Amino acid sequence: MAESREAVRAVGRRLLQRGSRGVRRTVARRKRLLAYLTILGPGMITANAGNDAGGIATYASVGAEHGYRLLWVLIPITISLGIVQEMCARMGAVTGKGLADLIRERFGVRWTALVMLALLIANAGVTVSEFVGIAAATELFGVTRFISVPIGAIAIWWLVVKGSYKRVERVFLLMSLVFLGYIVSAFLARPDWSAVGVSLVRPSFSFQPAFLFTFIAIVGTTISPYMQVFVQSSVVEKGVTTENYSETRTDVWVGTVFAIAIALFIMISTAATLHKLGLRVDSASSAARALEPLAGPYAEKLFGIGLFGASMLAAGVLPLATAYSISEALGFEKGVSLSFREAPIFIGVFTFLIAVGAAIAVIPDLPLIRVLLFTQVINGLLLPVILIAVLRLVNSRDLMGAYVNGRLYNAAAWLTTIVVTLISLLYITSVLFPGLLRF
Amino acid sequence: MLYLSQVLGRPIRDLEGERVAILKDVVIRLGEDDHPPVTGFVARYRRRDFFLGRWRTADFGEQGVRMNTDILDLRPFGRRDGEVLLARDVLDKQLVDVDGKRVVRVNDVQIIEAAGEWRVTGADVSLQGFWRRLAPAGFAGTRRPVEVIDWADVGYLATDAATVQLKSSSDKLGRLHPVEIARLAEALSYHHGTEIVQALNDETAAETLEEMPAERQARILGDMNEERAADILEWMSPNEAADVLGDLPEAKAEELLGLMEGEEQADVAELLPYEDDTAGGLMTTEFVTLPRDLTVGEALASLREMAQTPNMIYYLYVVEGVGSWHLVGVIALRSLILANPAAPLDEVMRSEYQRAHPDDAAYDVAHQIAEYNLLALPVVDESGDILGIITVDDAMEILLPKDWRQRMPRLFG
Repeated sequence: MAESREAVRAVGRRLLQRGSRGVRRTVARRKRLLAYLTILGPGMITANAGNDAGGIATYASVGAEHGYRLLWVLIPITISLGIVQEMCARMGAVTGKGLADLIRERFGVRWTALVMLALLIANAGVTVSEFVGIAAATELFGVTRFISVPIGAIAIWWLVVKGSYKRVERVFLLMSLVFLGYIVSAFLARPDWSAVGVSLVRPSFSFQPAFLFTFIAIVGTTISPYMQVFVQSSVVEKGVTTENYSETRTDVWVGTVFAIAIALFIMISTAATLHKLGLRVDSASSAARALEPLAGPYAEKLFGIGLFGASMLAAGVLPLATAYSISEALGFEKGVSLSFREAPIFIGVFTFLIAVGAAIAVIPDLPLIRVLLFTQVINGLLLPVILIAVLRLVNSRDLMGAYVNGRLYNAAAWLTTIVVTLISLLYITSVLFPGLLRF
Repeated sequence: MLYLSQVLGRPIRDLEGERVAILKDVVIRLGEDDHPPVTGFVARYRRRDFFLGRWRTADFGEQGVRMNTDILDLRPFGRRDGEVLLARDVLDKQLVDVDGKRVVRVNDVQIIEAAGEWRVTGADVSLQGFWRRLAPAGFAGTRRPVEVIDWADVGYLATDAATVQLKSSSDKLGRLHPVEIARLAEALSYHHGTEIVQALNDETAAETLEEMPAERQARILGDMNEERAADILEWMSPNEAADVLGDLPEAKAEELLGLMEGEEQADVAELLPYEDDTAGGLMTTEFVTLPRDLTVGEALASLREMAQTPNMIYYLYVVEGVGSWHLVGVIALRSLILANPAAPLDEVMRSEYQRAHPDDAAYDVAHQIAEYNLLALPVVDESGDILGIITVDDAMEILLPKDWRQRMPRLFG
């Protein structure tokens, strides 16, 4: 026996030399794997989750109603979205904790309750918009929403609780790729490119409630409160640390630019088709008409497929993410495999959001597109609450150490927060006291 | 009985009943006690925090603190070793409840007076505790039952104060199964997960790490003191250790490998050259070989005499002779026990058996194990030498969807 041990050792020593080569080989392969994952990293996924039912409806109706006039908004929004997402991703990498966790541990129960309430309301709004999206999409195929919405709601609830949602998710994700068609459609519609260029750099603003409403809706759908929570959790889950953070930063910025580019092309294509004809987006079929340059008579069906996929995807993920953050902040048991008795808050919040979303979406004669826009406005109005919490956290030196915001960066972040807050206040004022802001 | 939330922000009064400061925090000292005693308070006066020792106070309750002296020591407060601030380090933080085997968040802290001493007895984790702090005073008077975790069951406190670690962490966490410790550590942020693994003894730490995803193992070991990391690697099964080293940066991996003891080092080094997705990358080098000239009785005796028996001894691999790795047959432990002790191994062993080549695809090999209902599969090179074995556990990791793996217990360590 002793002899054989000795022999093993000798073999091992010899292999030790080869071993370090083996290490090198494996390390090299990991790098490639990481580079691949960057393509679909947390930043990319989160930013593009903003292009859901509410997002499409908002961009399409803005393009139809205002033409190219509001394109300029997308440039400051790109910067703001990128900065906000990057701050959250950075917090995730440095602290290894979710946003809800940090808010609870740093600010105590009162702030937590406020932020979680804002998040719950905002996400309930977005969930409603997803079910409205399901309703609008299936009605394009002639299926009434009184059938499709309840079935959709039950199917999502069942799939998530049974743990097989992950597998279906990819199908929905593929379906929502249809919206890439807007890019092609925007080119085929032969827009006035010089007008597009001028509108992108020349700001126009008004204090009309209708304009402020639209403006907040764009901000609210692009920089939604849930996205901050979501991007930070996915960075934590992916195990990003400060050492490999630079890849995630790239991912966040690339994702942001890509998501806004899609929004831009939706606005251009609706402006070049619907706005030119003086049409407004008041239903899913009119929003689909912007795809006609690409798909001709199939535009409606194509749009329906994309809207259905995007809405089903978000209608599952969003209630789930909300339930996770709220139970996390309050310190309750969480996980889809638990029963109501084991995790009443988690399952309760999840079920509540789906039920409310589905229930509102089946109200007869609901003006679908109007509701979609309205839920995005709620998002915009609640955004300052989350942004202030994020900024206070990211600038706390004992939490972030050397990774606090730089001065210029901080200025831009605060500017975003202040502008969003001001416009929200302006809008509320203009609704409550219509005469006050008439210029 | 007091709740921390009821006393924070309450006035501190001197002998005459004059308000001199505000109660900002309660200081406890961690030690051998299951229920640590309150040793003093952090008082706040004109934006300055100072320490007020327990011995300078006469009374402590919902009305606040009453001092037994008129002398205030206004030197700024500094935390000493082993001291925990209840509001700063415990309230709103997560902790590991070893009794309920879960991670919970502290909504409030329960303090009870016994034999003239105030002691921390439990952490309130119920919704009532949350509500008590949220609602304005007076509204929170509901006498619903609260859910309190006995402080004696607190296995780990996930706080950022570096000096605070429960001395008893290791013992309390050690009572749990490594699978459970891994699950709890994964529920916390990775800094805290690392602290938990560090608190365990080498063997439990190794078993706990093996239950975690490879990237997380690498991060935790990479953050540790190198000597300690090497000690833990030695306890891990060689294939798991090789996987972790493969996930670490090259320099770090070589350093850790260099720090490992000779035999474990050789075992791991042997496995490193193989790619992750091949049979070689999947196999472990812990297996039992027996020379073919032994009898059944001698084989059983030599099994008993082995200093360190590998986890997987249900199959025994028969080789040409002592010191040889040339595989000639396989015996299941069952047939060995049932066979006549005097029979030579040659007659009992099966010389027709399933095998894999180190370059075979991991997925195919895993399939082979599942298809033939094997507990392990020998990996044999071109010359017929056995290099290692692939256990059913490692095969399952390839075959099962990711979320199932966490629910599956491991059969072989």
